Amino acid sequence: MATTSKPVDVVIVGFGWTGAIMAIELAQAGLSVLALERGEDATTVPNWAYPKVVDEISQSARNGLLQNLSKTTVTIRHHKNDRALPYRQIGSFKPGTGVGGAGIHWSGVHSRVMPQELRLRSHVTERYGARFIPEGMTLQDWGVTYEELEPHFDRFEQVCGTSGKAANIQGRKLDGGNPFEAPRSHEFPLPPLTDPPTSVLFAKATRELGYHPYPLPAANASRPYTNPYGCQLGPCNFCGFCSDYGCINYSKASPQTTILPVLYRMPNFALRTQAHVLKVNTDSTGKVATGVTYIDAQGHEVEQPAALVVLAAFHLHNVRLMLSSGIGQPYDPDTGQGTVGRNFCYQLLNSVNLFFNQNVYINQFMGAGGVGQAIEDFYADNFDHGKLGFIGGGVIWGRQTGNGPVRGIPLPPGSPTWGSGWKTAVKQNFLHAGRIESQLSNMAYRGCYLDLDPTYRDAYGTPLLRMTLNWQDNDLRMSEFFGEKLSQIGNAMGAISMSGRVLKRGDNWDTRAYQSTHINGGTAMGADPKTSVLNKYLQSWDVSNLFVLGANTFAHGIGYNPTGLVGALTYWAAANIRTNYLQNPGPLVRR
Amino acid sequence: MRWPARNPWLIAGLALIVAATAVVFAVVDRVPDPEMSATLAQRKPDVARGEYLAVLGDCAFCHTRSGGQPYAGGRALATPMGVIYSSNITPDRETGIGSYTLGDFVRVMRLGVTPDGTRLYPAMPYTAYAKVSDEDLQDLFAYMQTSPAPVREASRATNILWPLSIRWPLAFWNLAFLDRSRFIADGSREAQWNRGAYLVQGLAHCGTCHTPRGLLFEEKDVSGRTALYLSGTEFDGASPINLRGNSGDGLGRWSTADIATLLQSGRNANSAVTGAMADAVRHSTQYMTDQDVAAIAVYLKSLSPAPERGRASFIASDSTIGSIMAGSERSPGGRIYLDSCAACHRLSGSGENSTFPTLAGNPSVLSSDPSSLIGVILVGARAPSTVAAPSGLAMPGFGWRYNDADIAALATFTRSSWGNSAPPVAAAQVAKIRDLLRISRPDF
Amino acid sequence: MSSNDGQTSRRDFLATTLALAPLAVAVAGQTAAQSSKGEQLPSNAPAPDHPSVPDYRPSYFTSVEWAFINAACARLIPADEHGPGAVELGVPQYIDRQMATPWADGAIWYMQGPFFAAAPEFGYQSQLTPKQQYRLGIKAIDTLCQERLHMPFAALTAAQQDDVLKQIEKGSLTSPDLSLSAFFSAFLLKNVIEGYFGDPMYGGNKDMAAWKMIGYPGVRADYLEWVGEAKPYPYGPVSIYGKRG
Repeated sequence: MATTSKPVDVVIVGFGWTGAIMAIELAQAGLSVLALERGEDATTVPNWAYPKVVDEISQSARNGLLQNLSKTTVTIRHHKNDRALPYRQIGSFKPGTGVGGAGIHWSGVHSRVMPQELRLRSHVTERYGARFIPEGMTLQDWGVTYEELEPHFDRFEQVCGTSGKAANIQGRKLDGGNPFEAPRSHEFPLPPLTDPPTSVLFAKATRELGYHPYPLPAANASRPYTNPYGCQLGPCNFCGFCSDYGCINYSKASPQTTILPVLYRMPNFALRTQAHVLKVNTDSTGKVATGVTYIDAQGHEVEQPAALVVLAAFHLHNVRLMLSSGIGQPYDPDTGQGTVGRNFCYQLLNSVNLFFNQNVYINQFMGAGGVGQAIEDFYADNFDHGKLGFIGGGVIWGRQTGNGPVRGIPLPPGSPTWGSGWKTAVKQNFLHAGRIESQLSNMAYRGCYLDLDPTYRDAYGTPLLRMTLNWQDNDLRMSEFFGEKLSQIGNAMGAISMSGRVLKRGDNWDTRAYQSTHINGGTAMGADPKTSVLNKYLQSWDVSNLFVLGANTFAHGIGYNPTGLVGALTYWAAANIRTNYLQNPGPLVRR
Repeated sequence: MRWPARNPWLIAGLALIVAATAVVFAVVDRVPDPEMSATLAQRKPDVARGEYLAVLGDCAFCHTRSGGQPYAGGRALATPMGVIYSSNITPDRETGIGSYTLGDFVRVMRLGVTPDGTRLYPAMPYTAYAKVSDEDLQDLFAYMQTSPAPVREASRATNILWPLSIRWPLAFWNLAFLDRSRFIADGSREAQWNRGAYLVQGLAHCGTCHTPRGLLFEEKDVSGRTALYLSGTEFDGASPINLRGNSGDGLGRWSTADIATLLQSGRNANSAVTGAMADAVRHSTQYMTDQDVAAIAVYLKSLSPAPERGRASFIASDSTIGSIMAGSERSPGGRIYLDSCAACHRLSGSGENSTFPTLAGNPSVLSSDPSSLIGVILVGARAPSTVAAPSGLAMPGFGWRYNDADIAALATFTRSSWGNSAPPVAAAQVAKIRDLLRISRPDF
Repeated sequence: MSSNDGQTSRRDFLATTLALAPLAVAVAGQTAAQSSKGEQLPSNAPAPDHPSVPDYRPSYFTSVEWAFINAACARLIPADEHGPGAVELGVPQYIDRQMATPWADGAIWYMQGPFFAAAPEFGYQSQLTPKQQYRLGIKAIDTLCQERLHMPFAALTAAQQDDVLKQIEKGSLTSPDLSLSAFFSAFLLKNVIEGYFGDPMYGGNKDMAAWKMIGYPGVRADYLEWVGEAKPYPYGPVSIYGKRG
């Protein structure tokens, strides 16, 4: 029998980036805010203290900061006629766990969105005609514009202390940044990080090829920084332990470094850890959320009443909570009806290792998650797609994220995998290898979606989320195009050989190798309730006191790393809750 | 066995006991006069002022146990002979101070004597509070009697065993060491300076930690008359810094703004507080008004350097950096510094502005007694989370990673690099602090 | 709030010392050395340091299995002119010790059925835990060696061992009990490389010799002054327990 907890104004499910942002914004508005987090609390010291955390065995080989899949996971299949199988081990994507969520072990690449990506259907139709959109691609506009979001992108960058260089401040063009950049209201809070060797070579080569390299925006601080909340960051020292690791130096922006020190001081905020939320409860009409039900640390079921419910867990948990709570109509790929689970998208990562002569020191053990040089000459619709016949694009970068030998030493093609030959190869290449990558947008398709698995269940007895997704012809042709660019750039950088992975036609989504944690879509935002779950303020069309955050709100995939957009959308939703919703609770957009 | 007859020593001994008993009764068995002005009764107390005075005196920290009701006492103070607990000072009539008169309150604040004649241990800093004016004590009392919620929670008895639990010897200690005089303003100084001196010597009780003590643990100067006042000291396990104008281990190179920023936020461009000072900032100094903090800074900056003999000096130098960058650093302490410390404090010992403390010229690094430096290396440190600087930035401890000789070498390196010039640290000093802090040794 | 400021209070200690002051005479000769601290910062110490030892006795593996592990390690990363091999650096110890971790029981994986064979792209779909993989995998390989070469794997010549491992890796030597190629690449070889390059506190990479071989400075984790240099880094490696190689 469930016990009932004391009602609160706002209950937030999940306490990573989006939960922390929403919590502080609503707590500062005077509401009583309760965050429910199924993992544990953690902070820089002791959890990510030097040198305990810079341990490749516990953190990379054993996934120390990632979700323990034994409790809950997803099932995956390529096509709706296949049998879905559980994602039993961490591979293709890396959900986080605990307070801070994936905001702890992320890299820190902090991009925005290209304005045209938020209205890609309209943009493509205007430029190439509606027939350019292939059959089965369920492209749709997001219902929100870049101009509306700009102050919130700016805000999130100020909070993160993002290092970068502006090229377009309110239309004023500046040198040294990304010439394709959309107008921004302010310069980045911190100057770019020092370029490591890979990035230096990448910038030189791409410039010579006629492209436009710029320092990738990084939520790794290049200087000591105090953000608008008063929280402090220390400068990144290029320790080489970023992705998979918590930051030892207070340098990587995370909820812990940028928000929680202030939030934890507020008496109207409370956090309950080890609280696993099972569902959002609604009243008899199904139109009003009454709170949530969760299982506490002792295994007891607790009902938590709240006037406002915010889903702020990681992508796949938010979508599953919508489905298991019966809010909105589940998507049916046969009829195209229903919205929850629709437009599930991913991202394509092509990764090419470059091997240099013995006199070229890359020192791949040095680096930072977000540091690097990038080009956007082939991002979104920055280039003419007319003759190419695909929609979308991506960013190409020469990052140096930091790598150690347990994480895997890339070797030239044909190198032995063990024995003396392998030893020779690792010895020759460890200090002289770098990597360039392209990260590409994955479009939305009628056959790619999320629903509840009929067979597999989690440790709490609830059905797992089922992913149905595979790469489509549009994506793979785009990927092949980028494969050529990568090899052109690799050669120009002076690589004597290259190895790696470029997705090409015929390839399927491989769940083993790390691809990207940037899964998105499933509870799309939009202007039309027939094709979206949330209105442009991330408010449920069906239950107006329910807001849903995260990359699951994307209408389709983008080429950038999603955290910048996820953060901006959260600030946008929070601002609209504060200024509009609280004055007049109810739908912010009429159906 | 037979009685010794007419033993002159025995007679003298008995006489001494009789005399001592007489003195004890004369001195002890009496509730002393709180020495209040007669006109105080006509004055209307100001409760709001009293609340602020409670912050200045940092009463809440010691009188609230972790997780307990404000002012209900019970904070455990472990001693070798047992545990003593701070008392309940809520207005509860039975277990708190609800039945106190103003006189009772002033007596306990100035003399450490409760209405029933019990002597307090000077863990309660009444030697400093003796400086506080009648009016301030009246306002503080008014606040304490009205605002904190009364909590019925009996003050826990100490579990110190007889005869060590006998408190009457404290009367003699008071006779010898308690300066009963109020603060006397210096007419030749500005009002701001006098305000600062009044706070530092009185409610803020800075000398409790920062002034050296004598054989019987009395503060050597409670009124700022000599250059010993606030000149830094050591207690087992920590070494509160010299707050005087010395340019090495003191505040000589700090501006008044540096001092004010540290008190209001727990850190400034080059330094951060930890340990007991972090508690003082967390509960008291961060809530002081800008005027009071500025007054404290002005007063501290006016203090002449303590005698330089035996003290460290600092003349900035960057000679240390070159050898590390070149890969030729071979000193054991320098190598440990490179391995474990430079990530935050940098090769230059400069730290990072307002984030990671500067070690070059840092008074805590240069302190004559290296206890605090050793303790921080062993167990780490955490700056307080304050309104002005909410991030409680922390340093991890390295006591598990290095043995006593390693830590001594590291401490010595930091005390002799970048222009720092303080005496070396011995492994035995590290061992002593390690025992006090109960940090086990690495087993290699 | 749950924020634990981790207040290390020297003040408690100070108060202690003061409280004792008037009694100092009475307790002359007794020091405050045993005094306990109040609150302390939570420990940031890592897992215990267990570097490799010369006469290690396995806890999980049987003597037959142990012989296989040692023989396989010697072939997968042999000692040669480039540096010591996996056996010399304690990798067998690393693997045996890993068998005592939650990972070895599949505790960080989703291990609920039903289990189905699937295309490799769907990743691990076996119900075997790492412990079971090793138990069955070693037995299957030794059985194959006995059948074909009449000796267990460990007793074969180096050339024969290399040949067996190559055939297992490419899938031409198979077993009905488990996927030998998956056991080889996802467990045996993966764990050998982990142990070879992991921190010495886990039992392998003795004296950081593997790090020294490739020029990896270990867990130094601070390169601000060097990141823009594109030159050799001047110092050798450091381990989690602060030793230098």
